[in-house]
Amino acid sequence: MAYPGYGGAPGGFPGQQQDPLYGYFSSVAGQDGQISADELQRCLTQSGMAGSYKPFCLETCRLMISMLDRDMSGTMGFNEFKELSQVINGWKSTFSSYDRDQSGTVEGHELQQAISAMGFNLSPQAMNVIMRRHSTNGRIAFDDFISCCVKLRALTSQFQSRDTSRTGQAMFGYDDFIQVTMSL
Amino acid sequence: MAYHSPYKAPPHINAPPDQGFLWNIFQRVDKDRSGVISDSELQQALSNGTWTPFNPVTVRSIISMFDRENKGGVNFNEFAGVWKYITDWQNIFRTYDRDNSGFIDKNELRQALTGFGYRLSDQFYGTLIEKFDRQRKGQVAFDDFIQCCIVLQRLTDVFRRYDTDQDGWIQVSYEQYLSMVFNIV
Repeated sequence: MAYPGYGGAPGGFPGQQQDPLYGYFSSVAGQDGQISADELQRCLTQSGMAGSYKPFCLETCRLMISMLDRDMSGTMGFNEFKELSQVINGWKSTFSSYDRDQSGTVEGHELQQAISAMGFNLSPQAMNVIMRRHSTNGRIAFDDFISCCVKLRALTSQFQSRDTSRTGQAMFGYDDFIQVTMSL
Repeated sequence: MAYHSPYKAPPHINAPPDQGFLWNIFQRVDKDRSGVISDSELQQALSNGTWTPFNPVTVRSIISMFDRENKGGVNFNEFAGVWKYITDWQNIFRTYDRDNSGFIDKNELRQALTGFGYRLSDQFYGTLIEKFDRQRKGQVAFDDFIQCCIVLQRLTDVFRRYDTDQDGWIQVSYEQYLSMVFNIV
């Protein structure tokens, strides 16, 4: 693993090499400075970003890349990785504040509270749909929680970009709908 | 019309299989002779051409499509539907796997989905492959191809339910949008 000390890897902007995250990132990224879902999974595991929770599954990593993948390349550069790790840390502390018994899972009503605490204003019906999709036996593991947050964040921003006057309603054409939802 | 429901199965060139033939297959697949083919029995009977297990999510989707009694498997009557469904998909897959590689690459996927009536941007096919390709080959195997089409179909179905005037546009609230999509992706 590359040690991000002084006089380390050539290139990169000043300060980047001292960022501990850069060490993890560059040890998996190729020459193109981009990482794919598999590499992201390795990177997150090595950097211990899941904390004491189980490492992220590949599908969740793929979702995380698509959340920030503005050029639809299916890969992530270092800046996006930094952004992602800040977001994950935020979600992780929300999750652990509800995982009071440190079981690595939270219950349905705690998920609802966590999601409200993050600023999403959802009805019980919408919450039920989300719960059904992401829970196992009424409990949600950290990886599923992250997966749920990524989807919520992505879908909310898709919706908002089509509801510019903030009426709470948006119009979708069929082709657009398919592409937008499948790109998740 | 702005859009239409894609893949009705292609014109049926095969005669329906005879019952004896189907029963033989059913018995071979129903290993524990319970009279019901479970997810795992169906998974073991199917091949995706890669020597790895058939996509379990696809197996679940197929069983749930034909399991009319919510029992978590299919009996012999329901199995006829499963057999036809898979045979139709095999025919479609072979049609579009033009280089006979056993995989559908981005170009072949574009031709298949365009053939089904979808109008999607070129870049988007790359996204689809990235999303569904479990073999990490940059192409989709048989089971992942079916899975991709199933999800596209489900999204189309949910869209149509909201598109009451069938003009290819829907207006939805934030809540409706989340509920529509969270169920499927």
